[in-house]
Amino acid sequence: MKSIKILERLLAAIPIMIGVAILVFLFVRLTPGDPVDLMMGSAGSVSQQEIQALQEEFDLDKPLHVQLYIFLKDVVRGDLGDSFTQREPVTDIIGRALPATIELAFGAAFFAVLFAIPIGVYSAVKQNSITDRLSMAFSFLGISMPAFWFGIILIIVFGVKLGWLPISGRLDYGFNFPSVTGLYLIDTVLARDWPALKNAVLHLILPSIALGMQLLAVLARVTRSSMLEVLRQDYVTLARAKGLREFIVIVKHALRNALIPTITVLGIQIGVLLGGNMIIETVFAWPGLGRLAVDSIFSRDFPLIQGVVMIYAFTYVIANLVVDVLYTYINPKITL
Amino acid sequence: MLEIKNLAMAFETERGLVRAVNKVDLSVAEGEVMGIVGESGCGKSVTLLNILGLVPHPGKVLSGEIMFQGEDLLKKSKKEMRDIRGKDIAMIFQDPMTTLNPVFRIGEQIRESMRIHGLFKDVKGGFFKSARKHAEKDRAVELMEEVGIPSPETRYHNFPHEFSGGMQQRALIAIGLSCKPKLLLADEPTTALDVTIQAQILALMQKINQEHGAGIILVTHDLGVAAEFCHKIAVMYAGRIVEQGRTEQVMDNPHHPYTQGLLRSIPKMSSKKDRIEPIPGGVPDLAELKEECAFYPRCAKAHDKCLSQEVPMFDAGEGHTVRCYLYG
Repeated sequence: MKSIKILERLLAAIPIMIGVAILVFLFVRLTPGDPVDLMMGSAGSVSQQEIQALQEEFDLDKPLHVQLYIFLKDVVRGDLGDSFTQREPVTDIIGRALPATIELAFGAAFFAVLFAIPIGVYSAVKQNSITDRLSMAFSFLGISMPAFWFGIILIIVFGVKLGWLPISGRLDYGFNFPSVTGLYLIDTVLARDWPALKNAVLHLILPSIALGMQLLAVLARVTRSSMLEVLRQDYVTLARAKGLREFIVIVKHALRNALIPTITVLGIQIGVLLGGNMIIETVFAWPGLGRLAVDSIFSRDFPLIQGVVMIYAFTYVIANLVVDVLYTYINPKITL
Repeated sequence: MLEIKNLAMAFETERGLVRAVNKVDLSVAEGEVMGIVGESGCGKSVTLLNILGLVPHPGKVLSGEIMFQGEDLLKKSKKEMRDIRGKDIAMIFQDPMTTLNPVFRIGEQIRESMRIHGLFKDVKGGFFKSARKHAEKDRAVELMEEVGIPSPETRYHNFPHEFSGGMQQRALIAIGLSCKPKLLLADEPTTALDVTIQAQILALMQKINQEHGAGIILVTHDLGVAAEFCHKIAVMYAGRIVEQGRTEQVMDNPHHPYTQGLLRSIPKMSSKKDRIEPIPGGVPDLAELKEECAFYPRCAKAHDKCLSQEVPMFDAGEGHTVRCYLYG
């Protein structure tokens, strides 16, 4: 039953994705700047024939509706076209960059959840204590601090001054393991290449912290406030009246309920982490989608921009679906 | 079995000490049903929470003893209290809709008390203690049947939101009964339910009292319920017990002006009067209570002596006690 509902939701994503495809196609062509001009460099260095040849190659000489038709026809078959600048299929380029972004997003989410939930719970249980006030002050700092600035501070402190952690890229040179999923943490485990795994993890730490800090702060606050609400509920008193230890009362009976709003926020934010990390990827030279998006926009690489935006939209759809499914497990009142 | 002596507790607030329970004496014998009646905020429910040691922050016990089976519960360690809660003394709450945990199945919630109190800890065998789990489940289903939940085998796997209010209260009673407690604390167990269900739940509790021999303290603001169901009644006003005695003593021959007022304010089908007779005035602010009679401002029979000092409990004969100078 549940899997049928999930399939339904995935099918419902198809019209959404087609809508996204049409919109992004139009908006990209509305922006000023011509890809062929940008490729040709300064005016007059190439002949009119060469420009025309390129325009023909990219189908830019055709009327807009014909271009759209060609684009949509390809999209339906899973072909996002060839990149203007890199001259290879957009799907291949994205296929290389997407795992890097996913790995970073989950690294950041893991870091955030790992600390946010204990902090939020502890603050709620010890409401108005020094620890509570301190952690809420820090979370305020975390929310208001720009991520790129925090990233640079991390690089300076842990990378440059202390030299503890690598500050750019996903891996040092010299490692060689077969790429199965593109996610280094998984590929290295599959290849049982432990030194490479360690190296990949080390590379992931600083960007994950930089990217996850705001999420940590938000989640800690959400968890704290919903926990405060839940701790006042009758079922918490009943749990105590049953003779349960306070730790079990809090972790089993209260937290399960308090996590419902936390998961909502996390779900929305995972989408943001996947789609909004251009700055962090640039600061840490992380070869992911964010950097690809920035580069493709500067070079007006239409197919690549379209591909990246469509992937972003798709990750939002998927993240929402995952959250909705998670909901049904954590809150029995909700069905898909 | 349970004897509360001179219990006083207060909440520390910015406005000073709010004395929610003031020099309360209560006793419940084995198999006895004790009713505590009074208006909202008079300290009935807090008295129950005190027995379990579950008074919420910033509540503090100021003095007194709560003797249960010869031992003072107020002197017990946290661990010892946890062993008593849910096992020897169980509690049933006012609002079943908010008292069951919404994210766990009914059966699991009934089973939980048995597990933590090791009811079937001697049952060995099976993977992951499956034999013990089966024993617990069988007992839970049995309990659900006993409290009147239809098709308990199926209902065992339901979530609380799939139960009606009455069924939820039955499930909560099953939780309370799971470890065969000697004392059941019922905090207005029927207030949130509609009238027909109220009667069913009360009948169920009466059956439990008779068949299990469990003592019950029933907190209620419904005098009718108390009259029908309790062996003894204590009337509370502003944190103090103002009258206590056997049900017929208190109901048929109320002594304290407050009890008399309460009984007069019950609408009666038989009476020809158009209006019921309310007690004039309102409940006093517990933060501003002094030692004098708290009912003084609302009392028709008040005189100067009531203000002069703390009113002691007077014996009106045959164990019927009243906190009023009219009987001194």
